[in-house]
Amino acid sequence: MSGELLVSLLVLLPVAVAVCCLALRNAAAQKVLLLPAMVLLMVAAAALALRVLPEGPFALTPAAVWDNIVAVLDYVILAYFLYIGVTSRNGLVLGLAVVLAVLLPVVQFGVLGGHVAVSPVFHIDALAIVMCLVISVVGSLIVLYATDYMPAHEAHLKLERTRQPQFFFWFVLFLGVMNGLVFANSLLWLFFFWEVTTLCCYHLIRHNLTDEARENALRALWMNLVGSVAMVAGIGLAYNNAGTISIQELVTGGSALVLLPLALFCLTGFTKAAQAPFQSWLLGAMVAPTPVSALLHSSTMVKAGVYLVLRLAPGYADTSLSLLVAIFGAFVFMVTSLLAIGQNISKRVLAYSTIANLGLIVCCAGINTDLAIAAGIALIIFHAVSKGMLFMAVGVAEQQIGSRDIEDLDGLAARRPVLTIAAVIGMLSMLFLPFGVAFAKWAAIEAAGAQAGWFIAVVTFLAVGSAATLVFWSKWLGRMLSGPVVETKEPKPFLAYGTILLLVSGAVGLSIFVTPLITVLIQPALSGMGYDQAFDVAGWHLRTTFGFFPPWALFLAVAAAVLLPALAARGYRKELDPVYLCGVNVDGPELWFTGIAGEPVQATTGGAYWTQLFGEARLTPLSNWSALVLLVALLAGVILR
Amino acid sequence: MTLTWPIIIAVAAVLLAPLVGGLLRGLDRKLTARMQGRLGPPLTQPFYDFGKLVGKSRSVSSRASIAWVWSYFLLTLTAFALFFLGQDLLVVFFILAFAGGALAFGALSARSPYARFGANRELLQMLSYEPILLLAAVAIYFQTGGFTVYSVFEANQPLLPFLPLVFVAVLVALGIKMRKSPFDIAASEHAHQELVRGVYTEYSGPHLALIELTHWYELVLLMAFLALFWVQPLWVGVLIAFAAYFLELWIDNIAARLRWSWMLGASWGVGIGFIVANLVLLSVLL
Repeated sequence: MSGELLVSLLVLLPVAVAVCCLALRNAAAQKVLLLPAMVLLMVAAAALALRVLPEGPFALTPAAVWDNIVAVLDYVILAYFLYIGVTSRNGLVLGLAVVLAVLLPVVQFGVLGGHVAVSPVFHIDALAIVMCLVISVVGSLIVLYATDYMPAHEAHLKLERTRQPQFFFWFVLFLGVMNGLVFANSLLWLFFFWEVTTLCCYHLIRHNLTDEARENALRALWMNLVGSVAMVAGIGLAYNNAGTISIQELVTGGSALVLLPLALFCLTGFTKAAQAPFQSWLLGAMVAPTPVSALLHSSTMVKAGVYLVLRLAPGYADTSLSLLVAIFGAFVFMVTSLLAIGQNISKRVLAYSTIANLGLIVCCAGINTDLAIAAGIALIIFHAVSKGMLFMAVGVAEQQIGSRDIEDLDGLAARRPVLTIAAVIGMLSMLFLPFGVAFAKWAAIEAAGAQAGWFIAVVTFLAVGSAATLVFWSKWLGRMLSGPVVETKEPKPFLAYGTILLLVSGAVGLSIFVTPLITVLIQPALSGMGYDQAFDVAGWHLRTTFGFFPPWALFLAVAAAVLLPALAARGYRKELDPVYLCGVNVDGPELWFTGIAGEPVQATTGGAYWTQLFGEARLTPLSNWSALVLLVALLAGVILR
Repeated sequence: MTLTWPIIIAVAAVLLAPLVGGLLRGLDRKLTARMQGRLGPPLTQPFYDFGKLVGKSRSVSSRASIAWVWSYFLLTLTAFALFFLGQDLLVVFFILAFAGGALAFGALSARSPYARFGANRELLQMLSYEPILLLAAVAIYFQTGGFTVYSVFEANQPLLPFLPLVFVAVLVALGIKMRKSPFDIAASEHAHQELVRGVYTEYSGPHLALIELTHWYELVLLMAFLALFWVQPLWVGVLIAFAAYFLELWIDNIAARLRWSWMLGASWGVGIGFIVANLVLLSVLL
């Protein structure tokens, strides 16, 4: 198949399927359409990868008429945002849309002079392929999961008229738009796709149409519009200062004049990646049905933000901007990890963990060495797989148990063994070596440590944040594993469980085979961006000039250390003894003991959240103000130099 | 480097560590007794205790607990072996964190208020010392140009004269990791306090023996890490590690258990603060 066809397929197939979804009202029909379509999307992504990886970047410029279509659509979307601002009486949305409505024509017709031909419009290199695979594979699996989730979701809400057609329209459209976004080389096209992701995201968050959903959707909208304004300003400045709006030319041009537009683009990326002080839109997004969270957090939306920051990294290498990006990212990683300790809502913990990991990716872009960029790309992949899966698991648990509170997930293993095992492996894969996310953390800390000077601050934030992740994952993970024996049958919807289990095996498999993953995908992406190879991969170990990581050897040891005891414990058949309660246990019910007056007393246990230290009331203002100061410093540093 | 010697050293270390660790614990009990005006048990008492625990019948309140306690042991052993193979220090500490996590998971799995209380505090202890260990590895990189144990031996100067404040920070981490006062907050040393035995409450007999054995490995690993601060020649480092051990015992005997928030403040303030100060000074002066 030709490259043009594959690219068109990856962008337009989801769009076409999305439109078809508008006509489908029942679950079976949706599955019949979506299952083959999503498989086709995955195959197309793989086929494009097989073409680009051996042959090098693939360039594509659609006919000039498409430039005009995109320009018109830009204004259509903008008009829609204005409409939302007016009808919802939201001053922020309206104000920002008005600013954008003024700024966009000024840039487009004043600065750019109407029409600027960018060649090529699409530049598909190995980094774009990595993103495309993440979007098309993880994203598609989430779509399939959603076909099982949404009917149950609507049954629970007792809707009179199904809203699934709209849901799947925005949901599937998202995948095509994301593919377009990562392929785009022309900043105007990038901006177009960027706006459509904002639009999709707005409608998906709003889906349940409750007051909270509407409000949170509007917040997501205005925060993302801040990024859009920065992006349009950046496009104007880029053309004004460097005479180009091609990302490749901006990044490789090496001119100091492009630093301000690059800083503005980074700011745009931070808003989309929900970095502090913009984290509240992503936290609010959890009012949407869980597949939306899974999609936003793993393969789309927020990943677009970090993709942009990472994509531009060669353009600001060895500048103070790079250092400030690193400090900012590491700071966000630290504070959001600490904030996660104080949360008892499972989805909120996952959301904070997402923001933290995105902060770590931003930090990697800022450290800006071969090793750090490799770590950032690896983290995009591993985080997408593990976090998508964790949201999906939590979503199933919420539907089956009726709660998203971590306190209610206590002892889940007794009620939902398969789901619990999957979730526990997912959490371990987010947390510990030798799994991929921790590997990326290892690489990031070593890369930051290997830089001198102000990077001491970066590495300190990373060390504290790393310890904090240990706490919030562990205290959740540990409590799920044993509970009072309950005779229940675990319902296992095929596509929901199938996709979860596929992603779990993906998280483990990719971690074991991280060395080939690096050779096949990440090192080509590094070379495509102009970086050198980060690892010596002899013997399938990963050796840097100063560190050493042996993935498969560690996996052998850790698998033996975790799996053998687990298997042995399963075989333990003797009666279990009651726990110690500092008093004589009452026969029969769990956790009852004989109190001082000879009366039965029930002991209770609960989670620890230490909100006096890690609660939002205490930490959020602090982190928002600090992040704001860092952002101001980041922009001021570039302007004043 | 060829792997023959490191493997011989690592195997020897794995075999000898229980002996050394047990004797160190015996020394601890003897010295502590003397400081308190008691005679104390014989030096080999920990081995008798170990043998007695192994011989007791098993009492299990949760299957997951016994699985995780074995993971705790095996993961600690993995980290221990990696260290003596001369591997990457950050990898060693990350695996050690996995081991610490396994101990907490075991206690959390038990559904006992005391065990869970202890487990949460164990996690707070990790929150306190984990950044110190990670930053200490970075500090060692600053001085040697490598993150591996091997690179410390390659360097031609001892670390301590250049990293004195880092060493002090590691002593704080050591105090927490050894579960000594004022940091014995996850499991009080004496079982008749409000914590009972915290994170160990639900373990008895052979499983408690396994935990004790793991502690011996941990102790030797931490002592070996302290010795890294002076490996030209190695015996100076070993002496320094012993001196640090006695210092910890002394502090244990004069201090009372403190609140976890105090521990967090102390370890982050003193520990992280000292390491950062040390690195800044190094960058400025050299």
